[in-house]
Amino acid sequence: MEDPPSLNDKSNSYVEFIKAVYRTVDRPVTWLREKVVVPNRPDNVYYHQKFRRVPTIDECYTDDRVCHFEAQQQFNRDKKVDGEIVQLVRQRYKECLIAEQPDHTRKCAKLQADFLKVSENFCMKYADLGPLNNVKDAYMKQKHRMLWERRHGKVGTGMKNQDAL
Amino acid sequence: MAAFSLLRAFASKVNLPKNAINQGILVLRSNPNNALQVVRQMSEHRTMHIKPSRWSWNRFKDFMHFYIMLGAIPAALVITYINLFIGPARLAEIPEGYVPEAHEYFPHPITRWLAKHVHKSYQQEYELMCHHIYEIEYEQKLRQAENRIKQKMAEKQDTQAYYYQPVSSRYERSIRDNAQADLEISGSV
Repeated sequence: MEDPPSLNDKSNSYVEFIKAVYRTVDRPVTWLREKVVVPNRPDNVYYHQKFRRVPTIDECYTDDRVCHFEAQQQFNRDKKVDGEIVQLVRQRYKECLIAEQPDHTRKCAKLQADFLKVSENFCMKYADLGPLNNVKDAYMKQKHRMLWERRHGKVGTGMKNQDAL
Repeated sequence: MAAFSLLRAFASKVNLPKNAINQGILVLRSNPNNALQVVRQMSEHRTMHIKPSRWSWNRFKDFMHFYIMLGAIPAALVITYINLFIGPARLAEIPEGYVPEAHEYFPHPITRWLAKHVHKSYQQEYELMCHHIYEIEYEQKLRQAENRIKQKMAEKQDTQAYYYQPVSSRYERSIRDNAQADLEISGSV
């Protein structure tokens, strides 16, 4: 399938006229910005903040409230990061869907599988815990899930008979 | 002929000064500004211009001028100047061995200024909270230990602790010292 048409391909007088009209407004503004405004600005930089890892909730003593607080803050930050990761994967999948519209089932299958896996992992860790971010609740959810999987097998394969346990 | 008697009947009711004198009715006269004025038989021709109040409208204009001239326009000018001539910061890698300050984690110049001069940084608030929790936890643990001891004493009933009332003489000493200071200052008790 060929690329969609772009303004940089072979052009005609109409396209040239439109481009010239655009340039009458764009060229002075761009010149002003590049030659006058930007060189006179102070060159400030900003950085991406990196946080040290602190002990997680399973490494904290039960009566160490400061450790709990630090683990809770780390959990909040991790939840935000993981949420952004899910958003990125979702955005890639959506863009593929829109771009490949009639053939999307075939062409975006891998991205769909990736998105479903990533969102499944996110929900395994963070979902169904209520409106507040409680790191102890998330830890207990993991414990209950592991117990359930030990008794019944992987999540999604159904509960075994109570008598047989 | 009958018309004249009708006219005479009507004349007594027309809004003229001559009818007002004897009957005490109000005489209303219209002025060029299209408002009716009450005319009393006095000597001056100056009258009060009765019209609806323009107080709300004037107050509205005052507020509009205040908030636009002193609020919106200066703010817009300052923000435009900052965005054009200072501009947002560019993202860069943190150099080796350098610990950036809190305000260097934000791109926009106004946010940077606020982070530098107004707000407490994330690290500062975090550490304040950690210390607060540490102190509260310490006091909680002391109280819990005290309660456990009291419970054991109540269970076993094997100590003489219930005879002992803790006494401190802090207050008596303070009263004595204050009395002495008063004596020295004033010369009498």
